[in-house]
Amino acid sequence: MMRLSTRFVNGCVSHSYVASTALVAASLSVLMMACGGAAVPPQELLDARSAYAEAAKGPAADLAPAQLDTAKQALAGAQQNFDEDGPNQETKDLAYIAQRKAELAAAEGGREKAERKRAAADKDLRNTQTQGLENFKKTKEALAAEKVARAEAERKASIAMASLAEIAKVKEESRGVVITLSGSVLFATGKSDLLPIAKEKLNQVAKALTDQGFKAIVVQGYTDSVGSASDNDALSMRRAQSVRDYLVTRGVPSEKATAEGKGASNPVADNKTADGRAENRRVEIVVTPEK
Amino acid sequence: MNVRTWVYWCISGTTLLACGGAPVPHDALSAAQADVKGAEVGGAGDNPKAALHVKLAKDQIEIAQKQISENDNEEALRTLNRAQADADLALALAKEAKAQADAAEASEQVGKLRKEIGK
Repeated sequence: MMRLSTRFVNGCVSHSYVASTALVAASLSVLMMACGGAAVPPQELLDARSAYAEAAKGPAADLAPAQLDTAKQALAGAQQNFDEDGPNQETKDLAYIAQRKAELAAAEGGREKAERKRAAADKDLRNTQTQGLENFKKTKEALAAEKVARAEAERKASIAMASLAEIAKVKEESRGVVITLSGSVLFATGKSDLLPIAKEKLNQVAKALTDQGFKAIVVQGYTDSVGSASDNDALSMRRAQSVRDYLVTRGVPSEKATAEGKGASNPVADNKTADGRAENRRVEIVVTPEK
Repeated sequence: MNVRTWVYWCISGTTLLACGGAPVPHDALSAAQADVKGAEVGGAGDNPKAALHVKLAKDQIEIAQKQISENDNEEALRTLNRAQADADLALALAKEAKAQADAAEASEQVGKLRKEIGK
């Protein structure tokens, strides 16, 4: 310092200049000591610290602890070199390497995380494939079972219709399947109480209906045109209700069965002849199929 | 030459040989070159960040070779250590990128299959 501060004035050293320079130098030394003489860390060391902090926050902490520890040691080495020798080239080199090691640890953590994610996805894929196959098998089995059930239902329905055809007229109309029972076999003249023979027939009807299955039935009572309309309406209603109630006692669900009195309306034969009137006195059961 | 002189020259010669600078870092050079090769084979070229570190490693190997030719072996060793750190990082980055791509593909497959089953 003194050598650098030496100045010649007219070939001689200026003593006052030397004194002032020495004072400045001393002041600077005191200032540096007061500030601890701390050297500024090189950018490489700052980058290494930052890279390590970043890696330690990420998946490397759990998934690549060995690599993270290596990075930590490398960073400590660089830091120690800096503390002992300052920001020289060796510190920079060590910090450069420490930064790479920290980034490597982060990458290893990321790789491990991705590999675990992939393994989980592969497992998920296998489970989904198995589930898909099982669903397919179940659907196939369900379809086969449904086919068998449908065939069985059709067979039963066919038998039921055949048995019904023996005791009543069965006709398919737009309003549904119409089962027509003659009034003379069901009731005594002017009465609405079922005859014993009627019950036997209705037992068969009830069995056919429950075997076949249906959505709803409407029991409609009809009379011939003899007598007043109001009497005929009332009688037809009582007779329809009587049949409907009996069917319910034989297993037909009550909520699906209703009764209607139609009186002398909709005659199916001529009311002028005895045979025609007998045909018009009837009970029709209109069945709405399930589908 | 008497015995004393002979011993003096022997000791002096040995000391000179021992202090005659660092040896050529052949091993470090080979290791760095092998790591660069490994990173390239490991797919570093497919990932921009990994490719950058491969380039850094190669550049530093070139510098180190120049330093060796100038007998600056100590400096060359430090440069090669840097090169090796870059090459190792390049390989790790390439592996990470590949693992992430594989994971994304596997997740996509699961999604597709679920969508198909859900139809």
